Amino acid sequence: MYSAAVLDRVRNPRRVGEWPAGQTDVGTGEAGTLDDGTTVRIQVRVSAGRIVEARFKVFGCSASIASAALVAEWLEGATLDEGRRLTPGRVVDALSLPAERAHVARVAVDAARKALDDVTEKAERRP
Amino acid sequence: MVYLDHHATTPVDPRVVEAMLPYFTVAFGNATSRTHRFGWEAREAVERARRQVALLIGAGAREVVFTSGATEANHLAIAGAAAAAPTDRRHVVTVATEHRAVLEPCRQLGASGWTVTELPVDPTGLVDLDAVARAITPGTALVSVMLANNEIGVLQAVAEIAPLAHARGALLHTDAVQALGRVPVDVAALGVDLASFSAHKLYGPKGVGALYVKRGVEKRLAAPVRGGGQERGLRGGTLNVPGIVGFGAACDVAGREMPDEARRVGALRDRLWQLLQERAGGVSMNGASAPRLPGNLNVRVAGIDGESLHVGLTEIAVSSGAACTSAEPSHVLMALGLDKTAALASLRFGLGRGTTAADIDRAASHVADVVAHVRRSSPVARLAAAGAGR
Repeated sequence: MYSAAVLDRVRNPRRVGEWPAGQTDVGTGEAGTLDDGTTVRIQVRVSAGRIVEARFKVFGCSASIASAALVAEWLEGATLDEGRRLTPGRVVDALSLPAERAHVARVAVDAARKALDDVTEKAERRP
Repeated sequence: MVYLDHHATTPVDPRVVEAMLPYFTVAFGNATSRTHRFGWEAREAVERARRQVALLIGAGAREVVFTSGATEANHLAIAGAAAAAPTDRRHVVTVATEHRAVLEPCRQLGASGWTVTELPVDPTGLVDLDAVARAITPGTALVSVMLANNEIGVLQAVAEIAPLAHARGALLHTDAVQALGRVPVDVAALGVDLASFSAHKLYGPKGVGALYVKRGVEKRLAAPVRGGGQERGLRGGTLNVPGIVGFGAACDVAGREMPDEARRVGALRDRLWQLLQERAGGVSMNGASAPRLPGNLNVRVAGIDGESLHVGLTEIAVSSGAACTSAEPSHVLMALGLDKTAALASLRFGLGRGTTAADIDRAASHVADVVAHVRRSSPVARLAAAGAGR
């Protein structure tokens, strides 16, 4: 029922991991709840306005793992503005997610936006 | 890929295939044709198979009614008994962990005005005998309790339920599909009136099953499928002669090999359970460890999403008892008191005749690898550690 794009990311995940959230060049975002069955954590490391690395962790179904993995892939190399322009619809299309799983793409994108907000706030707080 | 889903179905034993083959092409007669050799041959083969099935279940040959499978056998038992029940008996008692092929016909009765009692089970999957006794009333027409559960393999105390049902004048039916060929089944010792069986669960072909109808009980059944009067009027329709021959042959093989095979498969199951605990960790057994089918193991895995676990398992064929698309948890596991996440993160292993020790080692390692991999990409351990309020 899942596309090859989903299955590949579930079975050979890349960019799984985490960094300590306190680092000033790292933004962390979390979305979803365990009660809803999906929770995604995305982190971005930013240098000179560009995302140089991204990491994710997921508790959830295959579609949520693949969504978080794809979001992390897209974020790497993007500017913060480009990262904010990611939409759940693009994730759904790229992974050919079934309609009943489309909501997990939103969870992954929400986590990414929160991560970008977090790193932006940190930068603004810096003297 | 290692096949560990023998509760879903089994491969047809080559000896069974061999027994069936002539009845497709050479001895292809209709078992109800009485005027020529083709019909006689087919009839003879069907009656031989009937004796083979009867022998394995401890019944008389005339007490075996062939059907298209266990779903139809259950339907004949439940809808058939209901249709023939006196008007002051419009109550059926069953158990929450029954197969859908029992629950659905019972619920169908409920929709037509019957009272349906679905008894709960304890956390080990067993029904409380006192609760059964309390549920059966003088208005109960039928009690239906499965012998071996298809998901968690636990064996209900059907023999102890029989006197409870009979004391109130109710019929007792058991869905014995998963038990046949795996543990001894003796319908007389169980004291049941009706029992359902399926060939494809014991290395026979799909599309054939049987209902044991205790002598005299046929008068208390009104056949839902009528037609040419086959099977003493209890199941109309041309007999599936090759399938029935295969069912008989499968029972014959099972009767001879079951004692050794049950010991062998039971030891492999115990090894699988030990290896999963050692290698994967954070695993618990669903259902009582005994009494249980020797080839069954149902395990829930902590800290993991069930669907991603199943998608990750590419080297073994196991079942979740749940459809991934709907993400509906198993009604059996929910009846044990599991929450939805735990029920979905459960694996049903069904070992069988082809399972080897090497298969078990490979399966345990693969499960452990996938579990470790999914847990590694999960933030849950960290969330749990960080948020006491969560």
